[in-house]
Amino acid sequence: MRNTRDPKSKRKTRREFLIKTAGGALAAGAFGAYPMRGYAADPVNIGGLYPVTGNLAQIGVGCVNAAKLAVEMVNDAGGIKSLGGAKLNLIISDVQSDTTVTRTETDRLISDNKLSAIHGCFASALTLIASEVAERAKVPLLTGSSSDQLNKGRRFTFTPFARASQFAEAQLQMAKLVDEKPKVAVVFENTAFGTSTSNGLRELAPAQGVEIVLFEPYSAGFTDASPLINKVKASGANALFSVSYLNDLILIVRTVKQVGLTIAINGGSGGFVIPDFYKNVGKLAEGLQGVAHWNHDMDDDAQKVNAEYKKRTGEFLFEYAGGLVAQTFMIAEALERTGSTDPQKVRDAIAALDVSSGYAAMCPGGKVKFGPDGKNIYAHPVGVQWQNGDLASVFPQADARAPLIKT
Amino acid sequence: MLETLVQAVINGLLIGGIYALVSIGVTLIFGVVKIVNFAQGEFVMIGMYLSFFLATQFGIDPVLSLVVTMPVLFVMGVAIQHFLIRRVLGQNDMPQIFLTFALSLLLVNLSLLLFTANYRTVHTWYSDEALHFNGLYIPLAKLFAFALAMVLSAALWVFLHATDLGKAMRAAAQNREVAMLMGINPNRVFCVALGVALALAGAAGSLLMPFYPAYPLVGQVFVLMAFVAVVLGTLGNILGALVASLMMGVAESLGIQFIGADSGLIVVFLMLLLTLAVRPSGLAGGRAR
Repeated sequence: MRNTRDPKSKRKTRREFLIKTAGGALAAGAFGAYPMRGYAADPVNIGGLYPVTGNLAQIGVGCVNAAKLAVEMVNDAGGIKSLGGAKLNLIISDVQSDTTVTRTETDRLISDNKLSAIHGCFASALTLIASEVAERAKVPLLTGSSSDQLNKGRRFTFTPFARASQFAEAQLQMAKLVDEKPKVAVVFENTAFGTSTSNGLRELAPAQGVEIVLFEPYSAGFTDASPLINKVKASGANALFSVSYLNDLILIVRTVKQVGLTIAINGGSGGFVIPDFYKNVGKLAEGLQGVAHWNHDMDDDAQKVNAEYKKRTGEFLFEYAGGLVAQTFMIAEALERTGSTDPQKVRDAIAALDVSSGYAAMCPGGKVKFGPDGKNIYAHPVGVQWQNGDLASVFPQADARAPLIKT
Repeated sequence: MLETLVQAVINGLLIGGIYALVSIGVTLIFGVVKIVNFAQGEFVMIGMYLSFFLATQFGIDPVLSLVVTMPVLFVMGVAIQHFLIRRVLGQNDMPQIFLTFALSLLLVNLSLLLFTANYRTVHTWYSDEALHFNGLYIPLAKLFAFALAMVLSAALWVFLHATDLGKAMRAAAQNREVAMLMGINPNRVFCVALGVALALAGAAGSLLMPFYPAYPLVGQVFVLMAFVAVVLGTLGNILGALVASLMMGVAESLGIQFIGADSGLIVVFLMLLLTLAVRPSGLAGGRAR
């Protein structure tokens, strides 16, 4: 592949650059992204790939709001000082919740703009494709997606947050907080998502001293959760892990209440840790547990960003959106260190990153340093619980901001 | 063990009541107008969204909003018969299939556009409550839904057997030409059939709302069960559809309980297969009533 970023003729690249920034500005305008001002130094383009339409749109829109907020924060603090106070210019591209569109949009975003780095795409299935494209184009991509697959054979993909395999472990450990001898019922929807997650739970359970008393696949989109909950009741479990999509989970939670079953429910991550879940389930969500790679009450920085996001959108800063604010600051930190907008150099600077303070370190554990596989060696998930309509960090001890309420 | 079995049967009967409202609508339209309404599930969806908005905007209990959803859906049914279906009757089956199928696609995508794919729930005081006795439980929302579904089915039965219009509908169902010779206006009868069938779908939507989330594709979940029930209970036979729906609810529930939570439908479809093999015209034996 021809490397268009190699500055062969300065005049030509400048013209190219001007044309492309104009295109970028148009794109940014179209998505209501960051307004262009008269900059002293040339702005640094960073890409954001999120599903703004399609079935993942709701979370995607939240991500875009957070991405804009993050760029604003970097720019208001003086931009990238080593680049003469250059501002970040966020270019959002809509991947439409679709894998094919993700491939073409990522390709287009990279070839139409001179990008220094990218973050995205929320859903693992989309991120896997985007990271492939970014890898080939040699542009660094940061993501909060949890698929372990993202750490295999990639040099330009960086994952600052916990991996899927770590989520299962955290869930099992949380079960031990509820009862000394946890007897867990695992119910999961019977396609790839549910099967792989629940198999992970089953494999790790013996090592964690957790007994699985029911391991039950179900077909997603059922009309009635009662027979399933009947089985959970008969199994004598004291904890229920539900690997489900949102509509099934709503039915499960309601049915557990109707049956009058007292059982600690852990809903995992994804659709369970967003504000919409509480809106749908209401008070029944109280006491429900889950796992997340980021939570808004973790530290002072997170709470500050959360307050600002809440002021703008009316909702708390959810897991994925919060994580990408930290990612934006990691990119800014790398730009600061390398003093160059060249994506290859930015990649090397991200790989060498070692931060333990500021917004760039706003992760569970508060430290970021990437291993050779692009994984943050300090990353771990945080256990959360719905308390008073808010999501509180309750696990592990070091990250806990509220005690776990036993249901 | 016995307790689990009884509980499974209760669960099955309760959800079967909802299947019945949808399948009775399908079988009524087929029996009278002789078309298969592929969009029946989408009218359940419309009923759900109507109830949802009545509940969130005006604080009307979803079950009480029946009095709004049923008339609204009735009028929709009459309009759809008069302006759309009437034009494709008497031709071969293809335009009729395409018409209702297109209607289904249109309504799903329209609601995706208007309401987005988000799940909408209504929370009422009885949504999460249940009656408990002897270790068994009956969820209140489902009990209300089941009871009203049975009342509506009974009312339909009375309407078809005791009123002139009902008798005219049954006459048109038995033999359209002879009915016309007797002075029955077929389009008028068909309009009422569509109206009643859609009103039942609307009722199903309202009754579902307290315990089931609404989303644009929700109708497809229920319409599949309805089609199976209609075939099982003999096409066009209302009592057959009712009994078959309840049987399917119970079969599904027992299947989940004793075979596996992803095998509930296997029992239902096995039942359908056996019935088709042994009694090809359905359990009621080919009599359309």
